[in-house]
Formats: sequence, C-alpha cells, structure tokens
Amino acid sequence: MIAPHKIFPLLCSFCGLAALSFGAAEVKPQLDSQVAAFFEKNCIHCHGPKKSKGDLRLDQLTADFSQRENFDRWHEIASRIESGEMPPKKESRPDAAQAKAVVRLITTRLDQAAAKRRATEGRVVIRRLNRVEYENTVRDLFGVDANLKDLLPLDSSAEGFDNIGDALHISSFSMDRYLEAADTALNQAIANRPKPPAMQKRIRLTETQHLRSTGEKVFRIRDDGGVVMFSSSAWQKVLLSPFYPSERGRYRFRISASATQSAGKPVTFQVWSGSAGMGGPRGHLVGYFDAPADKPKLIEFVDRMEPKTSISILPYGLAGARDITKVGAAAWTEPGLVIDWVEVEGPLNETWPPESHRRLFGDLKQVSSPIYNQRDRVEVVSESPQADAKSILLKFARRAFRRPVTETDIKPILALVEARLAEKYSFEKAVRVGLMAIMASPEFLFLNEGRKGDTPVASASVSATNGDKSVAAPKLDDLALASRLSYFLWSSMPDEELLTLAEQRKLSQPATLRAQVERLLNSPKSAAFTENFTGQWLGLRDIDFTMPGHLLYPDFDDMLKVSMVRETELFFAEVLKRDLSLANFIASDFTMLNGRLAKHYGIPGVDGWEFRRVSLPPGSHRGGLLTMASVLKVTANGTTTSPVTRGAWVLDRILGTPPPKPPEAVAQLEPDIRGATTVREQLAKHRQIETCASCHVKIDPPGFALESFDVIGGWRDYYRVRGSGKPVTLDGRKMSYRHGPKVNPADVLPDGRAFHDIDELKKLLLTDKDQIARALTAKLVTYATGGSPESADAPAIGDIAQKIKTKNYGFRSLIHEITQSKLFQEK
Amino acid sequence: MTPSLPSTVTRRTFLRAAGVTLALPMLESFQPRAFAAGRTAPIRRMVCVCAPLGLHPAAFFPTQAGKNYALSPYLEVLKDFRNDFTVISGLQHPNVGSTHDSIYSFLTGAPHPELRAGFRNTVSVDQFAAERIGGQTRFPSLSFSAEGFGLSWTRSGALVPPDLYPASVFSRLFLDGRPDEVEAQARRLRDGRSILDAVSEQSKRMQPTLGARDREKVDEYFTSVRELEQRMATSEEWSKKPKPKVEAKPPQNIQNSADLIGKTRLMFDLMHLALQTDSTRLMTMLLLGTSQVPPIQGVTQGHHDLSHHGQDPEKIAQLKTVELEKMKALRDLLAKLKATQEQGESLLDRTMIYFSSNLGNASTHSTKNLPVLLAGGGFKHGQHLAFDQKNPVPLCNLYVSMLQRLGIESERFSSGTGTIPGLEMA
Repeated sequence: MIAPHKIFPLLCSFCGLAALSFGAAEVKPQLDSQVAAFFEKNCIHCHGPKKSKGDLRLDQLTADFSQRENFDRWHEIASRIESGEMPPKKESRPDAAQAKAVVRLITTRLDQAAAKRRATEGRVVIRRLNRVEYENTVRDLFGVDANLKDLLPLDSSAEGFDNIGDALHISSFSMDRYLEAADTALNQAIANRPKPPAMQKRIRLTETQHLRSTGEKVFRIRDDGGVVMFSSSAWQKVLLSPFYPSERGRYRFRISASATQSAGKPVTFQVWSGSAGMGGPRGHLVGYFDAPADKPKLIEFVDRMEPKTSISILPYGLAGARDITKVGAAAWTEPGLVIDWVEVEGPLNETWPPESHRRLFGDLKQVSSPIYNQRDRVEVVSESPQADAKSILLKFARRAFRRPVTETDIKPILALVEARLAEKYSFEKAVRVGLMAIMASPEFLFLNEGRKGDTPVASASVSATNGDKSVAAPKLDDLALASRLSYFLWSSMPDEELLTLAEQRKLSQPATLRAQVERLLNSPKSAAFTENFTGQWLGLRDIDFTMPGHLLYPDFDDMLKVSMVRETELFFAEVLKRDLSLANFIASDFTMLNGRLAKHYGIPGVDGWEFRRVSLPPGSHRGGLLTMASVLKVTANGTTTSPVTRGAWVLDRILGTPPPKPPEAVAQLEPDIRGATTVREQLAKHRQIETCASCHVKIDPPGFALESFDVIGGWRDYYRVRGSGKPVTLDGRKMSYRHGPKVNPADVLPDGRAFHDIDELKKLLLTDKDQIARALTAKLVTYATGGSPESADAPAIGDIAQKIKTKNYGFRSLIHEITQSKLFQEK
Repeated sequence: MTPSLPSTVTRRTFLRAAGVTLALPMLESFQPRAFAAGRTAPIRRMVCVCAPLGLHPAAFFPTQAGKNYALSPYLEVLKDFRNDFTVISGLQHPNVGSTHDSIYSFLTGAPHPELRAGFRNTVSVDQFAAERIGGQTRFPSLSFSAEGFGLSWTRSGALVPPDLYPASVFSRLFLDGRPDEVEAQARRLRDGRSILDAVSEQSKRMQPTLGARDREKVDEYFTSVRELEQRMATSEEWSKKPKPKVEAKPPQNIQNSADLIGKTRLMFDLMHLALQTDSTRLMTMLLLGTSQVPPIQGVTQGHHDLSHHGQDPEKIAQLKTVELEKMKALRDLLAKLKATQEQGESLLDRTMIYFSSNLGNASTHSTKNLPVLLAGGGFKHGQHLAFDQKNPVPLCNLYVSMLQRLGIESERFSSGTGTIPGLEMA
C-alpha cells in the first residue's frame, strides 16, 4: 500500500492511483437523483463496477461529507466537470446545461456541509507560527534579535499566503529545528559571561586595507584626512577593515559624509554588512544613504554584527574605475563621495546582565562556573531552586502561550524540571530545559483558537447586519482574539497591554478593539504587516526571482530593484496611514519616489535616495499599484513579458476573479525576442479558438494594457529586441538592444468597453470600486485569519465593502471593519 | 547474529585504496537485512538530483531511440559511461502544471503545485524509501540543496530542511568532536528526548477541546514529536560509535553565491564520500538555479535569465555552456563511483544516480517531456527509452522501478502505477 492517507486522492488523476477503500459502504451516491442520472449517463462506464479509473467508483461514493477525503473528492468531481476536463475529450460531451446544473447541485451540498462543519469547528484550522512569525515572537518574548528564520524549514503557502493553517505542516525534522532554534534563542537571551568590553573608535578610510592596497587611482585623499570616493565599480567598495569585532552584538555607526563636485546635488551610497562585503552569503544591505552636497552630514545607524564581520561602503551611480584611472583621481572633475571618518561604538549593552536575561531570571545571583574553553563563564544560582524555577516558568509560559497559565497547565514541564534538579543538574541548566520545553510546546507553536467557550458570546460585540446569510462559527475568546490581532498587524505576539486587556475580557468590546487596532497600526511593528502582506498579495517577495539580462536591460541595477519594493511598501503604508481610498491602489495622483525611481519613470526634480511623496505630472502613466515597477517586474520573467501572466495576475490579485487553470493540452507561449513576431500575434491564435477565448477575453485585456511596460517596469513604445531592429542611442551611447515591433496596448474588455492604453483601462477598472473593495477584503481576511473566506462568506464580504463605501473606501477604515467583523472574530 | 562479513576486509582495503580509511560502524541492529540473513546481497542506494532550470531539450535528448542512438551534445560528455546509463524521453508528472512551482512535486508527484490554492505535498520517493530502509545507516537519508529549499518531503507534506553547507555536512558525517563536545551532544539528545516527552504530555492537554480538523493538526504535531524521539534514540546509539574516518580534507563552503558548478561539485564529492562510507544510502540534491551570473568563462548573464532565452541564439549558446558544466560535474561523480569498489562491484553498479529536472522546457516553464537520465544502480543500461509524448508515461513509474531496485516491494508510488517498461534490472 502506498501513502495510506492520501490527502487529495482524486487529484492523483483518474488514470489510476490512490487505493482508497470505501469499506463495506454499499451506499449509493444518492446525493440527488439528478446527479445520479448524470453519472449513470456520462461517467459510470469508467468510474463504476466495470472499470474504476483513478480508483473512483461513483456508484459507491457516499454523500457523507463529514469525512474530509470524501468532501475533497466531491469538490474535485464538481470542479473537473465544471472545467470540462471530465468526461474526457474523446468521450461524448454531456449536455452543457445539465452539467452546469449538476455542478451547482454538488456545490450547494458541499456548501451546506461546510456550514455545518464550520458551526462546530470554525472556518479555519488552528495554525502554527510560520518562520517569520516565530522569529518575531522570539524577538518580542526575550528582547533578542536572533536570526532564527533561516534555521527553520521553509513554510508552504496556500491561497497565496504562508500563514494558512491548512498548509502549515509540522514534521519530526521541523520539531528538531524548533529545539535548535529555542537553544539558539536562549544562548542569546541568557548572559553566561561578564559584560563584554565595549569599544569605540573613529576610523579614516585611509587606514583600510583596501585603500592601502588598491592599484587604481580612484580615491583622492584630502588634507584633512577625508577620502573622496569617485568610483562606483563594485570592486572599489571599501571594507572598513580596522573594524573587525570579536563580539556579536549591536553596534552604532556614525559616518561623516558629503558630496563634492556634484553641482549642488547629493551623492547616494550603499552600506553592506557581512564577512566578504557585497552580497556574500552572509552579507546584507544595511541601506542606501544620501550625502548632501559640500556640507558634511552625520549619518547614523545601528546594525547587528556577527563576530569577524565588517561593513563596506560604495557610492552609487558614479563613474567606472577605469575611466577615472585614465585621468587620475586628482584631476577628476566628476562628482565624488567624501567620507571624513566612520565612528563605531559597541557592542551596545545598556545594562548587564541584559534585559533579556533579567526578564527570565530577575535579580538572581550569578556565580562563576567555568567550562573547558570558557574560563570566565557564569551561571545563575538560586537559594530555593524549586520555587524559583516554578515562578520563572509560570511567568514565561504566560507570555509564551499568550494566556494566563496555572501550575496544572504546565504540569509535565514543571515535572521535567524537578526531575532535572533531582538529577543534580545545575539550577540554570534545569530551568533552561523547562524553557526549551515551553518553546517546543504546541501552545507556543500554534495559535490556539480551538479553546472552547469560556467567554460567553457577546452578541453586542459583533454588529448584526441586515440580511446576513453567512454561517456562524464559534466565537474566539478574548485571548485568541488578541493573538489573531497581533499576528495580523505585527506578525508577532501580543504585547503586555493587549494581553492584559484580553485577560480582563475587555478586548472584544468594539471601542476597545478599535483603539487597539489604532495603537497596533501606529506602532513601528506594523511594518511587518506592510512587508508580509504586500510581499505576498502583490508578490514583492519574488523581486529577486529573475535578474534582467544586462544586454536587453542595461538600465537595471540593485538600487533600482531595492527602490521598486520600497515605493510599493511606502505607498501602501501611506494609503493606510491617511485612510485614503483604496481606489488609489488602481489609480492615484501621487506616488512615493526617490531619485533613482523618478529617473526610471521619467519624472524630473527628484534627487537622492530619500523617498518622498511626489505628485505625478500628467502623462506619467504612473499612479496605483499596477504601473509600479515592482509589480511589473515580478510579473515578468526577466527577458519577456506575457500578457497572459500579467492579465491573470490582475484578475487574481486585484479583481478577485482568478482565471481557471489552463487545460493540460495547451502549449505555453514560446517567447521570441528575435523580433519577428509579437506576443499579440501569437495570442491572436488563442482567441480564435472558442474554448480558449472564453477565458482569454478576460485575461488578455489588462495584460495587453500592461504591455506598455517592460520587464523592469520602464515605459516602452517599442519592444526591445536583440536581433534585427532599429538601433537605439541613449545619452549619446549606442545601446546593446534594438527597437523591435511597436507595442499595441489597446484592447476590449469582455463587456465590450474599449481602451487605448493603461490610463484608460485604469478608469474603466475604477467604475466598479465595490469589486476592488471585495477582492481586497477577501485577501485581507485570508491573511488576517489564516484561511480564505468560503463561498458562504460572500454576503459578509459584500457587507464590509458597503460599509467602507460610505467612508470613501478608506483603507484604514477597511482594516477596522474587518477586525470588527464576524469573519475576523469567529474561528 | 555476529557481523561476520567475509568481504569487509576487502572492502576496507578497497576503500583505503580509494583514499579512505574508515571504521565501519556495524551496529547489529542496523545491519542490512541481507547481511543479517547471512547472505551478501549487494547494498542498494539511490541518489536523486534535480537541475531546477531544466536542460535545454534540443541539446539533451538524442534523436534516435533504442540501443544504438547517437549521443546528443549533452550526453556526449558522458560517452565513457554510455553503457552505465539510460536516457528516457516522454515522461512527465500527469497533473503537474507548467510553473517553477513544479519543483515541489519533482520527487513526490503531488498534483497541481501550480494552483496556489489547496496544494498539498505528499511524501517524496527518498523519504518513502527512508521510512522502509533508512534505519540501516547513521543517517536514514540526506537532503542537500544549493537553493534555500530542497527536494525531500515528509509523509505529512512538510519540507525536510536540506543541508546547504558542505563544511557542516562533512563535520556531521566524519568529525567526532572533542570529548566535551561529544558529551554536550549526548546531553542535548538526552534533554531533547525528555523535552519531547513533556511536550507530548502537553499536547494531550490541548486535544480534548479541539474540533476534528484541529485535532488532525495536533496529531501531526504529536506524531512528529514521537518520530523525533525515536530518531534521537537511534542517534544516541550511533553517537556512541566513532564516525568513519576519511582522508579527504574538510571542504570550504563556496563564498560566491552564483557559483553553481562549484557548489554542485563540492556536494557531489561529499555524496561520494557518504556513499562509500555507507553513512547513508538515500540522498537528494537540488542544484542551484540562480538569477546571478555564474563564474563560468563565456557566460555573462544569469542562469535563470538564460533559461528564458526567447530563442536568442547568443543566450542559447551561453545556456549550453552552463549546462555542459553540469554534465561534466555529473560525469565526474559517475567516474568516482565507478572507480570505487565494494565487495567486488563498483559503487556505481549499486547506486542509482537519477539526474533530471522538474521542467521539460524552462523557456516556457513546460513540465512535459522531462529530461530523465538514470545511471548505475544495477540496471541494463545503454539505451534511449523513448515514450510517445502524446501519451506520456507518469514519471512516478520510474520511481516505482527505483523503489523496487532498492528492494522495496512496491507496486505503486504516487501517480506511478507500474514500472518503466524496458528498464530491466541487470
């Protein structure tokens, strides 16, 4: 027997597999006589007593939907009939109207079954923390900044998000990693040594290994000891080699920097952190910074350093090293970056033992406890180990489990620690075992929304809606609500205020909840919402998935890529902060730009790295998410764009009407950049075939409108090609690509409304703001609750959309309406 | 049962000759069944390698079928091993649509990874095998990757976290550590087991209040805890035995994140060491599919970018350069395995090297007609098995063939309902 409990048995194809016995069940599929008749006529000769292809016997399939496998099977049957995949092409076609009716019947029965299940079990399944949430939770639990995410296995996604309970699995391997992650966190939280000595020094770039060893004359050393960096060539980055810390920890950096010979404009530079400088496996971008013209500015940041790593500095957008060397740095007249000095201070420890240690052990004394390779090691000791251990663990468990905890609740863990103490483990080691056990407990790893009603259903807390046909699920208690809320807006655990309100059962009061939502959104921690939600809703996490080739896209660089994502996040945060209409997501008269992106978009008057809100001039073709470079990049493959991919993206992410999967037999478009055919010509064939046309009339139009943008989100009138085409000259330089066929972005929406370009399409999309609101609500509910809304939730979603309509479709209002809704407050 | 292995001496001698000295861990309970039964049936092993950006079909597939086919440009690299491998065309996973996400189903055959909604993975062929034959070696299986994720998935559809760094793999496999480190590790395992004991008690406290679907989740947790406990018990046993010693130097991790060939070769070398020391018999390896420019002469664009060549002849030429380097790395692995003897047979004859991709044509993300190469392992090789692309054979049928070769009596695996016709055991 293979894979005894197949999860999607039927999906494993009708052509054989998945032995699923339906036991002695001789029950006929009396779901409905109409369905039975349809099966009899169209299906039974392959899926019946004679043949049972795919191990599916429709004559034996029961209508018992409480069994999940059965439920999934019926769901699959309906969707296969609906898509026309079954019966197979070579069989005679069933009557279309009949097939439709049968699908509707099955779907209705499935919905009823789902409603029944939901009434007892809720819509969503309990979910474990994903690795981002785990890392954030540990950060807030202890107050340490440990990189734990990379220790844990990658999480699976479903419904487009990686926090969906159904898709988040656990295995012995991940369990092993949870133990390791807990150990790593405790190593950082507990101070087993005296306070590490702090250092502070001011470094001039002349002291660095790089300046002393480079043969190229690209640096000018000034009389005051400052160094002017003229080159942006990657190999001319300067590693701050005199700073090479032996202690892990947070360090404060102060850089005195200015721009010179820059005609009054700032020069931007990047700072990397890591062992080998740029982009090594352990390196990361600290950020881009602007050095203002002529007058030095103090640029300050704090970064977490691993031992034996350093930072490196490289100006952006300046000349190549070879050009400068020809003239020599002394005579070079182009812009340069002046670094007067860099000051480093750290590791930063305000108190010792650090806050993380005191949170666990309070003021318990530490005594010397040397080991093999660490003579100065110390350990916490206790005069009354049993009592102290108990109170430490109870206090920790409350915060780790995000609820009040009694001795009975953690009996097995207390017993474990007592046993260790009895075995003559030292006090600290014994407590540590207990702390690890708490961090490996299901109540830490899972959001336990399954606790049953110790909170009475407060009907007042959920506003009753007119004609609410949605089905009820068990209401979350205040504690579960607190966690759901903080993982929604912070991707982390509730803080003390939220937890206390929940313990007092005040959180579910609408006014309190509203005030807490405001507080959470105003906290810097809400950056996690922007990052994780946009990262997945819009796919920004895929920004590195393709690297546009430098021959077709010589204008692409790292700063542009980083800026793209930043624009979208800042724009999203701006709309959220000011409660602007979500129509702005389709079309807006402003966006958030820095100099690099403004140049990319052809918008004058914006310089430097710093982002600002910029009013868009007429004819910019920008504004809204669809025309942001980030979105345009993640919907392209680095070489070519496909109207199908982008069109399907708009349907799924923005309009909430994802297209069905393409039929198996259809060949993918073979992109061709030699310039002979356009994708429109290739697609035209598609749309002549009736079966293809039914979907492609919906998919292609927004995709065609977006053809005006290339794979890095630049505006184009002509496709860039490598073969035959018109040569292109830009800023007096001959480009490595040529102009191919002209782009034609015009098309017609399925309802017959025509548009000439993306600007006109945006206007057409905005005629149905309710649809945009419903689509976004569904995405937010999915992300906020860890499960997508079901078809029965359509009225509840429509209701939310109606409510924000009266608030000018304000996005912040939408967050409030969602958190106040039953969808959010019920399991 | 005494481990009376008449051929051990020869084996050690051979291994030493191959640059390896080792102390074979011969825990009675972990001996291969065949040995325990007093016979010396050969040990069977399986290595699955995936190149996630496909292999340019025109350069990979031979144009003729059968025994006397002319080698394609890529297979030309392997010409010395012509009779040690079979190339197969016309295989695909029946319900795996065309995206990069097909990687999730590469060794599992789980349907529809391309649908974002509702996809659930199932067990991968190596983990399926590990559940049955994994207990015989120090490591039931090893999963390597030059990417962030890997190819191996558990029964519950959870990713087996892959090893990314050759240096740490080497130390896990071959370095014993100082006495205090060994003691610390033993305590970690002991503490770990007692912690798992306590948390499984905790999970029982959670269960009574949960609904059926939630209980499934907690059950999954509970099972994971129990399985880890068992694995830790086994590890505790193994930790008392010294690790095999090899003469090879510990590898240095590759610093250049774009160096896909360097990473591949380093892992291949480790695989060879792991196989010849019998540290494990089941391995998977996901090669790097980077968007960065690999340090290969004549290559100026990222591998991913090249795979979307859009028929640009220059890009196709560079793509071939990259992929030929992969073929050379494979060739060198085959050569090492062939040169290593075990009980009078080459290690290659006892090790299936399955080399393929989740994409048939990466330029369009097509998942049809996957480039499949199976070397070694004791099959009758030297042929091109060409199946009708209009009537494709499930790739999982190959997995059934491979499972049977491992001695696992399995008629089916995932969407595989039989073996590959024409692929016979030697």
